Amino acid sequence: MNTDSTLLRLREANPFPDGHEAVADDELFERITALRRAPQSRRRGLRRPLVAVAVGLIAVAVLASTAFAISQWLGGDVVKPDVTRAEYREAQRELALPPGATWPVLHVAPSTVTSRGGGGGFAVAIAQNRWECYWVRTIREGDRAAGVRAQAQLESLLHGNVIVAPAGASENWSPPADSSHPQAVYARDGGYEWVRDTYALAAAGHPQRLAQRCVANSPG
Amino acid sequence: MTAETDFRAVFSHLGAIANYARRRGSADADALAAEVMTIAWRRLDDVSKDDPRPWLYATARNLLLEEHRKRGRLRHVPEREAASPAPELDELDPQLNRALLALRPLDREALLLVAWEDLTPTQAARALGINAAAFRVRLLRARRRLQALLADGGGPTLSVPQLDVEGS
Repeated sequence: MNTDSTLLRLREANPFPDGHEAVADDELFERITALRRAPQSRRRGLRRPLVAVAVGLIAVAVLASTAFAISQWLGGDVVKPDVTRAEYREAQRELALPPGATWPVLHVAPSTVTSRGGGGGFAVAIAQNRWECYWVRTIREGDRAAGVRAQAQLESLLHGNVIVAPAGASENWSPPADSSHPQAVYARDGGYEWVRDTYALAAAGHPQRLAQRCVANSPG
Repeated sequence: MTAETDFRAVFSHLGAIANYARRRGSADADALAAEVMTIAWRRLDDVSKDDPRPWLYATARNLLLEEHRKRGRLRHVPEREAASPAPELDELDPQLNRALLALRPLDREALLLVAWEDLTPTQAARALGINAAAFRVRLLRARRRLQALLADGGGPTLSVPQLDVEGS
């Protein structure tokens, strides 16, 4: 039995195979649409200046890495700005942002180099911050379902897109070059555990640390 | 186009969401589906007009997890791993039942979103909140594992279907 026949067997075992039929429940539709809808995000009008500040911060971060990058120019696994920008764009296809959030443009100075994977790492950090802030907002608004979704997104990011550098690794350690998806690198200094605990606290009804992370890592 | 018109397209998936909840063992699948639609209406700006299904399944899954937690069917509350509702297994043949339960929960959910809910891998990835590449790896792993388990008689015997959480 190959995997296709396995999937076929599973499809045939579907206990409710007629799941996609249209259901005419006009009464329910009327009841739902009689409810008030949630107001649109108040942050929408602030998006443009926030993006501008985000871009500035990212540019500073890239420039800050330049000294090391140049020192590694001949021997280290560093890449030029066009590669970093491509990594950043590619990462956007794989990472989700919460409703209302947009990807800032990544400006990388032409004369700089960045560790390979840096563009993806920036994208992961941005996605993480946006979801954290979204989660804080859902907690404040009492939107439990959206909060659970935000938590799931953050857990997924931590699990799939964050990698902790090996013990004893250099400060600029980067993931293996064959990594197929964007990854942010955490130093092995307890930071990963701290973030994980922050999420656990928020899920348990104590979002203070999460709110602090949102503010600390947000542009502006 | 009015919000009601937009919502009508979203609402057309009510039956599919109710059946999803039913397959995952919801105590009141119709009520859960109605709640999903109510949330969708409230947050209609967040729901993709082109393809609302991933958003709807993600929301239904979150509500299912909450329902299972309240019913005490979670063995432990996850801190770093997303949980996945176990399928409603009463209707399945025992061998397939055991094989599905032997899969890692998120692998199982990946498989069932494609096989039973008829989502594309991209849609299912969005429903699970993971990137598409990671989902495809997970799906391939799940298919191979299920195939091996079925070839081996369905895996270990598990007495009570329950909601699992992904192991770390």
